[in-house]
Amino acid sequence: MSVNVQDLDLPQLTEVKRQLDEELGHLTNSFAQLKQAQAKFKACVENVAEINPSNTGKVILVPLTNSLYVPGRLSNPDTVIVDVGTGYYVKKERAAAVKHYQAKMDFVRSNLETLQETIQKKQENLSFLIQVMQAKMQQ
Amino acid sequence: MATTNKQSGSSTRKLETNPRGIPRAPFISSVEEHVGGPDVEVESTLKQFQEAIAKYRYMELNLQQRKKGLLEKIPDIQKTLSMVSFLRDRRLGKSKAQGDEDDDDLDDDEDSQKPLTATFELNDTLYAEAELEDTDVVYLWLGANVMLSYTQNDAIALLSSKLEAAKLSLGNATEDLEFLREQTTVMEVNTARCYNWDVKRRRERREAAQIAGKDEGED
Repeated sequence: MSVNVQDLDLPQLTEVKRQLDEELGHLTNSFAQLKQAQAKFKACVENVAEINPSNTGKVILVPLTNSLYVPGRLSNPDTVIVDVGTGYYVKKERAAAVKHYQAKMDFVRSNLETLQETIQKKQENLSFLIQVMQAKMQQ
Repeated sequence: MATTNKQSGSSTRKLETNPRGIPRAPFISSVEEHVGGPDVEVESTLKQFQEAIAKYRYMELNLQQRKKGLLEKIPDIQKTLSMVSFLRDRRLGKSKAQGDEDDDDLDDDEDSQKPLTATFELNDTLYAEAELEDTDVVYLWLGANVMLSYTQNDAIALLSSKLEAAKLSLGNATEDLEFLREQTTVMEVNTARCYNWDVKRRRERREAAQIAGKDEGED
């Protein structure tokens, strides 16, 4: 059973507007976080590309902890270890790892699009509500 | 510790500071003595107390932030220290074993230990394998875009001293926080007592005025 916005009086309209603002804030937050996640996966794809056979045997600084680096060489250019979640780490070949990150990126991208649509609808609702409020205030 | 003696009326106030310079809050046992007489306004005194409380609160906030930072840093330093110790012990063990092997005439090409392979973090969810070289040099990230190379022994010395300093700071910060809590409570109690004394005094004055008014009326 839906209530027509025109029927609500001013304090109730203010309350509805507040709710909409809050939801919009949450959604925009989630949108930003998804964008961040997407950027991270993109970075991972580029990092996997660095582990290529031409770089094997070159001296690199290997991070052992947050502030400790030791010189070393790349030993295995063919495989990388990917954290697939819930405490599982899988050794994949480079191509498989790239595919894995691409799949994650596509998933995030589709979520972003759905979220974008929802945000737009909420914004339209909000502007309509504001119009009704202004009309009521002038009465 | 700095100690100053102030004499006011018949009460003695001592302003002390704790080892890190936080002034102790004096407990006002007699409000009247502290203010200086039964007819003095308490506004300024109350304001002084409020300022002192605000200062204590500010110091408390600072200390809490510092303590949080230290609590994060200390496990990090411990991990780095144990890593470097492990590398050094491994290297010492290896060269000792090679020294024994030199006594044999044959086969001193073969290492007694293979080089250490480590999986290191390329990204949040991405790790790769690398072989660690057998050198004495380690690199320590000191922050602020500064990284220095150290020999393993130097690194161990540096990290140990950093860890000791951090633990000492943490202990001091905790002690100071407790001290500050105590002093804020004392000051709040002072404020309350001063205010109550003032209320009582006003009430007495009002009653005295009423009685005086009644007496005049009867004349």
